Amino acid sequence: MLNIVFYFQVHQPYRLRHYNVLDIGQGSPMFDDKLNGEVMRKVAEKCYLPTNKLLLELIKEHEGRFKITFSITGTAIEQFKLYSPETLDSFKALVDTGHVELLGETYYHSLAFLYDSNEFLDQVMMHRDLMQQEFGYFTETFRNTELIYQDRLSDLVFEIPGFKTLLTEGVDRVLQWRSPLYAYKNYNKRINLLFKYYQLADDIAFRFSNRDWPEFPLTVEKFVSWIDKLTLNENKGRNQFLNLFMDYETFGEHQWASTGIFDFMRHFPGEVLKNQHLGFAFPKDATDLSNYQQESISFPEPVSWADEERDLSAWLENDMQHNAIETLYELFERVKAKGDPELLKTTRMLSTSDHFYYMCAKYFQDGDVHKYFSPYDSPDQAYIYYINALAELEERLLR
Amino acid sequence: MKILMFTWEFPPLISGGLGMACYGMVKALLNLGIKIDLVLPTREEVYFPLRDVADVDTLPAVFLDPKKQSTFETRTFLNSSERMDFIGINERPESYFQLAEIRRYAVSLKKEYWLSETVSIEEHDLWQQMTKNLIGEEDLIRKVQEYTLRAERMARMLDYDMIHAHDWLTYPAGMLARKLSSKPLVVHIHATEFDRAGGPGDERIHKIEHAGMTYADKVIAVSQYTAQMIMSRYRIDTGKISIVHNAFTIPEDAVLSKERIFKGPVILFLGRITLQKGPDYFLDMAQRVLQTHPDARFIMAGTGDMSRKLLRRSASLRLKNRFLFTGFLNRKQVESVLRASDIYVLPSVSEPFGISPLEAMAYGITSIISKQSGVAEVIKHAFKIDFWDVDLWVETINHLIEHQDYRAKMGIEGMREVNKIQWDEAAEKIRQIYTSTLADYIRNH
Repeated sequence: MLNIVFYFQVHQPYRLRHYNVLDIGQGSPMFDDKLNGEVMRKVAEKCYLPTNKLLLELIKEHEGRFKITFSITGTAIEQFKLYSPETLDSFKALVDTGHVELLGETYYHSLAFLYDSNEFLDQVMMHRDLMQQEFGYFTETFRNTELIYQDRLSDLVFEIPGFKTLLTEGVDRVLQWRSPLYAYKNYNKRINLLFKYYQLADDIAFRFSNRDWPEFPLTVEKFVSWIDKLTLNENKGRNQFLNLFMDYETFGEHQWASTGIFDFMRHFPGEVLKNQHLGFAFPKDATDLSNYQQESISFPEPVSWADEERDLSAWLENDMQHNAIETLYELFERVKAKGDPELLKTTRMLSTSDHFYYMCAKYFQDGDVHKYFSPYDSPDQAYIYYINALAELEERLLR
Repeated sequence: MKILMFTWEFPPLISGGLGMACYGMVKALLNLGIKIDLVLPTREEVYFPLRDVADVDTLPAVFLDPKKQSTFETRTFLNSSERMDFIGINERPESYFQLAEIRRYAVSLKKEYWLSETVSIEEHDLWQQMTKNLIGEEDLIRKVQEYTLRAERMARMLDYDMIHAHDWLTYPAGMLARKLSSKPLVVHIHATEFDRAGGPGDERIHKIEHAGMTYADKVIAVSQYTAQMIMSRYRIDTGKISIVHNAFTIPEDAVLSKERIFKGPVILFLGRITLQKGPDYFLDMAQRVLQTHPDARFIMAGTGDMSRKLLRRSASLRLKNRFLFTGFLNRKQVESVLRASDIYVLPSVSEPFGISPLEAMAYGITSIISKQSGVAEVIKHAFKIDFWDVDLWVETINHLIEHQDYRAKMGIEGMREVNKIQWDEAAEKIRQIYTSTLADYIRNH
């Protein structure tokens, strides 16, 4: 049996205003409420609401045989409440069907894992509480920001009771000859690992509307036939997992409705379920469905799902990114010592990984993606505003 | 007396010291009863007949095209910036110090046009020198060409006693006006290409500068430092050169009281971020001062072709959130940043004058200035250090951070001193230069 694990990332950051030196100490707002509201309403209209509606219909139609998984960040939930409460309601309706798994992650979609283990654990617990509170859901599977993973992460996540499975990218340089279609164990065999099957996931997420792609247009039949082929090499009856992880905004936002992405999704589950040996599963099912000895695999170096490199270079490559993030995590300790909840919240809002992504200055193919997502003219501008915000934060500390 | 004045900058068209200097100078000259027709690099073909002191702020304008003039006269503008838009004044002219960076479509100048009315061999050679070098693909050179062609119409149409041209961008215009009107020409050196480039610079500009100074009846240098430069580098006849130091008159609506942004001491760099201004020395100082005084904040205010390099370097030195960039600041923002600062530094590699420290001192900010500057000739209550002597800059900044009383005392004395350096005095010197030049000219014709 091949189980398709569909997981969608739902995230919106708090974007910073064009925050100048002369804004410091003036009590002027740090975050761009207007822009954040606009983006949230736009994405809700183009992606969240129509896709949620479609998925709800599909779940009902297939009576539980179609399963999906979401990871929804705390900053996204907060902004649903502020700018698009109906979106939050529609997610609740989906979770209420019982055919949706919710993943655990850092509340602020941060890189805390790399800099501050205590802050990381705090943000993970905040997120678990939020899922409990908003959806009545207890998270059992963990995915770190942007699928960033390395051995040390599994140790930290293992410390938190309840997490049995971790998701990450199927990075070739680590997997080498191994297939990303099986469930593995982390380096010390304490937790399950599932790997994104990036070739097929990216066919939907990045190549779907690319007319230069030889396989364009991507039809449901073609895609399911590719999936079917993946089962040919498995002749021992082992359960496989085809992990299609992607940004939820793929639907209607990155790939506009006019590309046919919604039609594709509407017909995809039915086409899959025509086949007896194909189905859908949750990541948390990995424990029960692994009917074989799971091989353990070690990630000494961090990996992620971003850019061609699939490493940390989208956030942590140039000096601007390093100076910014190091300054932030130095401030964290002092902010916590001060005990001002408002200040701590602001600091955490500044820990969202997107801020560092905007400072990325890799100017080739991936640079374009960065530019598309950035509210600033250049990485330098993003850096200047961010550093000014950190200067303001420090002044507030001294107040 | 009526002057036809050519300049590239005048508020609100301003990118640096040239605009500030022209503003203060013109205002004071008007106060002496001198009338000025001002020509700026505006989009529309206009000149500004300035008669009254108040005109420097309202900028009355006349269109050369009568049709446009009548549209302009009948039109009502909501505010002054709408009016400026109509005339085509950009609040932020592109800096003219980045010639190499700007490349556009080529339009070369017609040499025959320029040479048609020349007489003597010497004149012919100067024309050649100027026109041959006023050819280039850069946006700026094209703008200067346009400005110069336009000056021809101004020169023929307007009535004036003398021509006064500021910096090389307007020298071709000044030369042409002198040629057409046979009126004397004064050129004013605010900076030479050697200063701006922090090295040899663009040879075409040297040639134009040389032609302008040679063709002029009188050359005004903003400092002894600059006079020395034009004597040694351009071989200009010393008898033609006069020194008139710039001044600074604080605007009446200026608010001088401190308004802190940061709790720690603030060290300010304010100017274009170009090689000439020594911004890289500022960064070196910051790195070292912050090791002793991590609560200090360094603000780099302004823009320029070295901004990106400095930004990246400040990040690579891991100066955290202690080295900040403001980007371009308007007048009001400059005031805010001055009110928030404690120590002003001007580490220029070569600064013909440098008005900005006078402004900082007027706000009571203790200043440290490069010895390689003209402003060092006129002020006593500031520290003067060789631009390259980073050790001494660091020592001085540290000392001023640690001795707040001393810093305050220096600040107040500097403020008193600057209040005496007024444009009225400088304008009186310029008036005398006008008078004597005119007298010489009449005697010789």
